Amino acid sequence: MASIINKISFKNFFNYYGEYDENTTYEFEEGVNIIVADNGAGKSKFFNAFLWLFYDQILDSDDKIKKNVKDVAVKIISDKAKNETAIGDSVETGILIEYSTGMWKYQIIKSFTATRIRENITSFDSWQIIMNDVEVSQADHVLPRFKPVYDADEKNNIIKKLILPNLRQYSFFQGEEVDSIIDFGKKSSIEEAVSTLTDISKYEELVELTKAFKVKAEKDLNKQIQTGQEHNERLDKAIKLKEELEKSLENDEIKLKEFENLYDLAEQEKNELEQNFSNAEKRNELDLKIKEKNRRLNEAADEYNSFLETLNNRFFDGNFSWISLGFENIETEFQEKIQAFREIHYEKKAQKNRDENPNQHFHFLPLDSPDSVSLKNMIDREHCFVCNREAKIGTPAHDHFIKLKNRAIDSKKDVEFVKNNLEAFFGGLQINAQPFYNKIESIEESILKTREREISLNERLTKLKGELKTLKSQRKDLLISGNEDDDPQVIINRYKGAIKRIEQSSFQIEKLKENIRQLKTKIQNTEKEIQSLRPADVPESYLLNYQICFDLANATEQARERVFDNMVNLLENNANKHFQELIKYNDLAGGILKFSKTPSGSITFDYIDKEKNIVHGASQGFQIMKKFSVVMAIISANTSQYNYPLIADAPISAFGEGFTEGFFEATSKVFPQSIVLIKELYKSNDEMKINETGKKLLKDNNVKTMYVNQVNKGVEQVELVTTKIKLK
Amino acid sequence: MDRNQILREILSDNELCEKYKIKEINKITTTPPYNNKLVEVLSVIINENDNNLSETMIYKKIKNIHNIG
Repeated sequence: MASIINKISFKNFFNYYGEYDENTTYEFEEGVNIIVADNGAGKSKFFNAFLWLFYDQILDSDDKIKKNVKDVAVKIISDKAKNETAIGDSVETGILIEYSTGMWKYQIIKSFTATRIRENITSFDSWQIIMNDVEVSQADHVLPRFKPVYDADEKNNIIKKLILPNLRQYSFFQGEEVDSIIDFGKKSSIEEAVSTLTDISKYEELVELTKAFKVKAEKDLNKQIQTGQEHNERLDKAIKLKEELEKSLENDEIKLKEFENLYDLAEQEKNELEQNFSNAEKRNELDLKIKEKNRRLNEAADEYNSFLETLNNRFFDGNFSWISLGFENIETEFQEKIQAFREIHYEKKAQKNRDENPNQHFHFLPLDSPDSVSLKNMIDREHCFVCNREAKIGTPAHDHFIKLKNRAIDSKKDVEFVKNNLEAFFGGLQINAQPFYNKIESIEESILKTREREISLNERLTKLKGELKTLKSQRKDLLISGNEDDDPQVIINRYKGAIKRIEQSSFQIEKLKENIRQLKTKIQNTEKEIQSLRPADVPESYLLNYQICFDLANATEQARERVFDNMVNLLENNANKHFQELIKYNDLAGGILKFSKTPSGSITFDYIDKEKNIVHGASQGFQIMKKFSVVMAIISANTSQYNYPLIADAPISAFGEGFTEGFFEATSKVFPQSIVLIKELYKSNDEMKINETGKKLLKDNNVKTMYVNQVNKGVEQVELVTTKIKLK
Repeated sequence: MDRNQILREILSDNELCEKYKIKEINKITTTPPYNNKLVEVLSVIINENDNNLSETMIYKKIKNIHNIG
């Protein structure tokens, strides 16, 4: 009968604060049991209870290393419980697990007592730890009263029976470990899995035995010939030849094993590097993309920075003239004021000059006319062209011509009535301001365009930064199964090297297999010769013994191969069945898992797409899904029913949302009971705290119980408590 | 996998059955009495291997079947 976990209860175990009571107890049933919890809400801690149960260890969440409970006991005690324990007082921490199998029910309690001796509750020195004896009790279903089990071996057996140690790798794992459920890179991993779950090992034992009996029977037979008969040279020769051939066969078989080993190692390296190789190529590709993107980013950043630097210039640069924004009316005002200023200035100046020399300041003609060439003519010809009158030398009119001609020189002699008439200053202002007030109208548009340009440059920069970040994050993701220090080129070379070694050893294996085949034929022929040369009076029973042992050795070997091949076919069919179930709600459908024998005889498997191409380097989640299908196939290929629960912490965290439903559907068909801790179904802002898939699963008949774990957020560590809501 | 199934799997070779005149392998079991020497030898190997007897001990039992020693 299958082992079914009925309940688990905690006592001051991490955030599961309190006694073994209904607040800290989870009840389970046969079928699928789900505990939904966000990060930090006690998933891994829950799983740790089983690690304690099976291995007296917990996984330290700080460094992801499994440690003995007694070494990290202080970490295990609920901080709230620690805080509430006075110096000199004790607190008990433990787990209680109840499971049933057939007519029996078992209860196991593992616990320790901690006495506080110092102030600091988190320090290991502040507590004295005493590990309590494991308490195991059993009851039958008829009279469900637990009676203690005292025998240590019996206690261990009861714990072991929950999930047998050799099956825990398929039945008890954390998300990040799924990848190593079966390390298909290792030699004969499928064979090992098959031997664990089936009786193929029986055939292997029989093959070894019958081979040994064949040798023994032959020796016994030959002894009878030598002791009973006179010397027969031809027979002796044939026996000797057979021995030599067998020796060669043995040597070749050793060599074959060595090459098979080499092949397997190379195959293993290839498989290990498969993901890395594909990653390395992608990393190489990404590195180039990152380099190019970096270059473009730098260019864009330079462009943006120099754009920002030139922004200030636009205030003073005549081409932009931003400084004059808002000075639209200033020009007119200036013109009016300078005009008024000049008028007053010249008026005052003229008045002063006139006052000083009144007679010089009355002109017949305006000051600046006529021009100096006309004046020269007028002086020379003694005639005024302006009024067309004669003006002889010495007349006032002629003198006026001369005065007019010399006015520029004379004007210098003008006496300024102020030291600085500011003419140059205002003139300069006018000249310098000219380009600015010409641009005033277009400044707003210029600023708008500049702002648009700034936004566009900034957007480009942000976009490039985002793209670079994505590329870097993609590259980082590729390191999941690789190493930051590994040079992609080294990985590529190692991968290619492994492929080459596979080819070379494969060639040698084929060659040796052919040699072995020839040697076996020779041995068979020699055997026939020996049989014909054997004296007629050899005891029949020895002859029959040898004959039977000889034939049984061959028949057993063939049977083993047959059974193994059938098992692999069965596995392949089952794996595909489970795989299709797992990817049912995903868009991956189409391909199949194909098992194939390597030249060394071990089994590998690949994912073949619709076009019959091997798919390499798919996502990590997909790789795990592939392996999980095989694990489920191994379990379901077992001739007897699989009798152990699946206890998994975050098993599908790497699979992605699309696999969630398929996972629960598939596991319910393989495992009699599964207890799955999962965060993917959690939705904090939902009333029930689960998402749509969670609600769908809640209605599913295969799902028997569903809990949601919660922690009181925003409180001190010493107040942190995990509580649960039972949805089903 | 039970012993009979292993026995029948190894015997499911037409040439072998013909040579040793073994018929109706579906009815053959590893429990005595045996009608055939080969079936007897194979049954002893399967049973005694299950009983964790050593290779030498099992071979002795085989020799006893043939009355050789």
